[in-house]
This record gives sequence, C-alpha cells and structure tokens, in this order.
Amino acid sequence: MKQQLIYKKIGIPKALSYYNNYPFYYGFFTSLGVEIVLSDKTTTAIINTGTKYVVSDTCLPIKVYAGHIINLLDKGCEAIFIPSLQSTGYKINNCSKIRGLPEIIRNVINRPFTMIEPTLDKTENINFYDFCAETAKALGITDKKEIKKAISFGWEIYDKFMEMTQSGINYKEALDNAINGKFIKKTVDIVKPLSVVIMGHGYNLFDERISLNLIKKLEKMNVKVYTSLNIPREKSLSALKQLGEVQYWANELELTGTAAYYLLKKKVDGIIALSAFGCGPDSLMVDEISYHCKEKGMPLIHLTIDEHTGEAGFVTRIEAFIDMLMRKKRSLIVKKADVVKIKREKILTGTVK
Amino acid sequence: MKEKLNAKDRIIAWPRMGRIDIPLKALVQALGAKVVIPPANSNEALEIGVRNSIEGICLPYKLNLANYIMALDKGANTLMMFQAPGSCRLGNYTKMAQKTLKQMGYDFDMVIFDMYKSKMVQTLQAFWHVTHCLNPYCYYKGFSLGFNKLFAIDTAERLLFYTRPREINKGDAEKCYHKWLKIADETNSVLKAKRLKRQVIEDFKKIPIDKNKKVPKVYLTGEFFVLLDPYTNQNIEKELGEMGVEVQRQIMFSDWLEHVLKPSIFYRKESHRKRCVRYAKQYMKRAIGGECIETIGDTVYAAKHGIDGIIHISPFSCMPEIVAQNILPKVSKNENIPVLSLVLDEQTGKAGYLTRIEAFIDLIKRRKNNY
Repeated sequence: MKQQLIYKKIGIPKALSYYNNYPFYYGFFTSLGVEIVLSDKTTTAIINTGTKYVVSDTCLPIKVYAGHIINLLDKGCEAIFIPSLQSTGYKINNCSKIRGLPEIIRNVINRPFTMIEPTLDKTENINFYDFCAETAKALGITDKKEIKKAISFGWEIYDKFMEMTQSGINYKEALDNAINGKFIKKTVDIVKPLSVVIMGHGYNLFDERISLNLIKKLEKMNVKVYTSLNIPREKSLSALKQLGEVQYWANELELTGTAAYYLLKKKVDGIIALSAFGCGPDSLMVDEISYHCKEKGMPLIHLTIDEHTGEAGFVTRIEAFIDMLMRKKRSLIVKKADVVKIKREKILTGTVK
Repeated sequence: MKEKLNAKDRIIAWPRMGRIDIPLKALVQALGAKVVIPPANSNEALEIGVRNSIEGICLPYKLNLANYIMALDKGANTLMMFQAPGSCRLGNYTKMAQKTLKQMGYDFDMVIFDMYKSKMVQTLQAFWHVTHCLNPYCYYKGFSLGFNKLFAIDTAERLLFYTRPREINKGDAEKCYHKWLKIADETNSVLKAKRLKRQVIEDFKKIPIDKNKKVPKVYLTGEFFVLLDPYTNQNIEKELGEMGVEVQRQIMFSDWLEHVLKPSIFYRKESHRKRCVRYAKQYMKRAIGGECIETIGDTVYAAKHGIDGIIHISPFSCMPEIVAQNILPKVSKNENIPVLSLVLDEQTGKAGYLTRIEAFIDLIKRRKNNY
C-alpha cells in the first residue's frame, strides 16, 4: 500500500547545493512521487531581496539563497527543502554557513512555511541513508523499500549526469538531458588555442548571474574551459594527495582538487580562481593552490565577486589574463620554431654531422 | 627537520591566547623542558602577522603567526598548537603556519594535537613527544599546577569583573588582579597552587566596594580568541568596567578546557556547552562549529536571568559568528534583550568602537531606569 504524502510539492531554491546535487534530488523526489518547484534564475532583483534579509557580512551565495527562498514563497510553496550538509566524511566538514543553512533561514525569514531540513553528518555517524530517510519522513514516507528505490533512482540520474559532463558536455545541456532521461556523448572535441581551468564552487560558477557568465565569456574568446565536473572525484582526490595536501573542506575537491589535477597533468595554460568575497574556505584553498602554482610556474588569477561586481572591470581582468596567456604560449612556440630553423640551417650548410 | 631534535634541546613556544601562557609554562616546566613566551600581542605583532599572511584569513591567525615568528626569533625551536578540525578555519591554522614559516626559512618542529574527538590521549602524546618525560609524578605535578593556576586566574578575572565597577578607589581591583597573576606565575608547588584560588577570593574581598551601587550587567559573547585576548578586543572589559558596567563572560578558558579534556562521565554539573545547547534549542537545532551555539545559548540564558544587555564580538569574516549575527536580531526581539554586534579587524579605530559601546551602555541604563 502506498503511503500518503504530506506535501505533494516541494520547493528547491536554485542556489548552493542545487548546482551540484540537483540530478540526485530530482531522481529522489520524483521517485517518491513529489513534484519539484524550482525558483527562478538568479537575477539582480533576487540578490537585492536576499540582501535585505541577512546581515551585511554574509557572503554572496547565502544572500542569493535567501533571495531564492523568498522567490519560492512568493510562488506559493509550502514546503522548502533546505539541507544541512555538515560533513561528507570523517572530519571533513563544510563551511559553517552551509552547515547552518536551516538555522539562518529559520531566523531571518519570518514567514510561515515548513522547512524540510535533513542533516548529513558523517563525523557524527549520520550517513547518507539517514539523510534521505529524514527527508522522506518529513514528506510522510517511512517505507524503507521505497526510500531505497528512490535513492537508487537518484544515483542513476546523477551518474548519467556526471558521465555526460565528464565527456565534455556543458553543465546546462547535461542537466537537461539527465532530467529528461536522455544520454548523449560528445564525440568531436574542438581543439582551441588556449585552455584554462576554473576553480570555483558549483554554485558560483554555474550560476550565470553570480559568475557574470564567465564560462561563456571565455568560450567567446576562443578558450577551452575545464571545470570540476570534467573529472571524476577520485582523480581529483589522488591529485590532491600527490601535491601533498590533505582534504579538509567538504567541497575542497571542486577547487583545490580540480586545480591540482590539471596542474599536474599540465593540460591547461592557466588557472582562474573564482570565489565570493569573504568566503572563508576559499581564502585558504586559493592560497594553497597559488603556492603550488608559483612552484610549477603556472599563471593564476583570483577573481573575487560580490553583489556589486561591475561587469566591465571583471571583463577587463579576464581579457588581460587571457592576453597574457596567449603571449606566453606564442613566445614558447616561437622559441621552438627558432630552434627548428637553426637546426635546418645547420644541416643545409653542413655544420651538423 | 634534518636531524631529529633531542628532547633536552627543545625550547618550546606556543601562541598567546588570554593568560594561557602561565599554566602552560608551569606544565611544560614541570615536565622538564625549556620555554619561550612570545611577547604580548601588540601593534608590532599584528604588523608582522599581517605582512606574512594572506588577505582573507581571520585575525586570530595573523596574531598566532606573529607569535610564532617572534618566539622563533627569541630562540624557540618547537612550536605547539592544538587544532580542532571540524570547527572552522582554525583546523587549517597549523598547516598554513607551517608552510609560511618554512617559506620564510625558519627551522623548527611543530607539535600538533587534536582537540576534537580524541582529546586527552593525543594531548598527553603531544606532551610526551615534546619532553620525553616518563615520570608520572611530573605529569601529575604539571597538570595539577596548570589547572590550579588556571582556576585561580579565572576566579581572579571573574572577581575583577565584579569589583571593578563597584570599587571606591579607582584602580584597586586592577592592581590586585595583576598582583595575583604574578603570584600565580611564580608559584611552584602543588600545595601552594591549590591554595591560590581561596587566597584570591579572600584578597578581593578586602577591596572596599560600594555594595548598594546600581550596576548594569552586560554579557560578553562571541568568538573565543577575541574574547580572551585583551589586545584584540581593545580591552573592552576594562573600558566597560570603567564606565560602571559589570561584565560577565561565560566563556572562560578553564571551563572550555575542562569541557574539552574531561571525559563526560566525570561531569558533576551541566557543562557550559550543554546548557547553551539546551537554551538555544528554539533557534538552533544543530551545532555548526565554532562558538555559534554558545553565543545564541548565552544570549537566551542572559535574557532569562536578568542581564541587561549583550555585546557580541567577533573577528571580521569569522564564519560561525556571521551565522550567529544573523540569528541574534530575532533572539533579541523575542527575548527582549538589547544586543550589540561588534566586528573587529586590524583596522578597527578605537574611538569609533568606544562611541558605539558608550551609546549602547546609555541605552541599557535608560532602559533599566524605565522599568
């Protein structure tokens, strides 16, 4: 017998964990029979509303999150999914603000709605299954079989999504396809003169308003962009270990791990670090990577964003960085060409035996 | 380090935090090692710290790093520091400091012990590693000396907070406090150390005070390091005391240490943290690292126990305290208690800071007279 759902619709704000985990959430909730209501795309209006609710010292992603919650409430959502991802491994914790997301939202937004606030805390032995079971319980489902089925369906969609992004398909296309149950693979890879890796949290990077469309801007400049979604987690973890670092933050692999992988492979010409102003973990992680970059001679630019970031200044900095990479690469190629030229001349004149 | 350091050659130093140097010195010296104490935090120390650390890191790290550098310059070769992975950026301090100091060309050995989920065993291991002392009596003597001194200092501090706004001759309490700090530092036997606490209480009783004076009470909450370090918080306790306000601070070093080190079976009464979790329940359902839950819990507790106001201080960009700042307005409204949030960084001007505190104290006094 099917259990009665308490809430037929659940709101998921398009911010923070949405960007990395939405494929899983989608599979999980649809399998349980819950309809998902998403908030609108991030706009300046949403950021401004969010800013009104939280104190000024809070970082941009949290402000955006608050704005999305208001957006969902305006849409008439009764239940909103606000997870507290405390730690994803033993002693591997998240940033305090992500850990205390439900606490912030509960206390800053004074409007009646139900928060579905499961906790994931592997340090305290609250595992992933408990996390999912808590969510399902809040929706009125306690049947173990059904929950397990929902989890496996969630992973199925998530795995498809990851496989697609790892083959080189961009974030949006992969997400759309994964949710519609399709699977596509990129066969032809266009070679571009320059390639960079962006180290940044998914919620900064894939949000077009927050990142000011950074990926598209780079692609327009004829630059190939790699992100954390292009490599599997294990590889980035092992790359991190190879550099002699230990994972400390839950989302460290998105930043340091990814950068470390490309740094060691020497696949890219430069690294772009994108972080929100006042971000605690980022300040450490970018410093860590820039230390290794200096050792290995890899150019790195650190872009900081907040709600006031002017687009013109942002673009100028990226352009200057790309120009610099271009000049560096060109000079390398010219040097190589010169060597070949000299050799050929020597052969012709008979000085080389 | 190329060759391993002999236990005898070790000269130990640790970062400053409040008056932690006195008990730690007693402990390490009892175990038979040499000690260097870095000079107190000052503008000079801060400058060194700022110059050698990254921009985005929080203030306590900058001062810690400066302490290390100054201690190494004074001849230390072993640095000790605890860490607590899972709280906040604190867990990364040692890792970063080690890297920075190596880059600067210092030669040293860093001994780190976890204060999270392994506690006592690791702490003992760390001290064994540093001193190679096998005599259990030395450990007993060291820990007993350290703890007793700590309790005495904390008691003196509490009494100082109580006496300062009420004293008839200005400066008596301050003088008494410094006298006992010096005595505590010089005490070298367990018996005397055990007697310290009672002596401190008796001595403070001798200071003439005006018992009938109406004194507003203010709770100080916020980040641990900033609360304990008088340089960083611009001596807020003294300023408040001189304005005629009784300061109460719930986060004391000994309480925290006891909570961290003691196995929970030995608790005689409810620990501070447990009380905070209980009181904060309405606002927070889970601990999120740092001292966030303590801040909220203390605020609710204060409101229910006749305290007139809360001053919440935190370093700039401290993650747990930003969450606390977000929650505090609602607590303040629901529990009907005024709250002042102060954010400190290396550029805080003292004049502006004092103006805000004065305005807040005025508000509290007016509010108190109306009721």
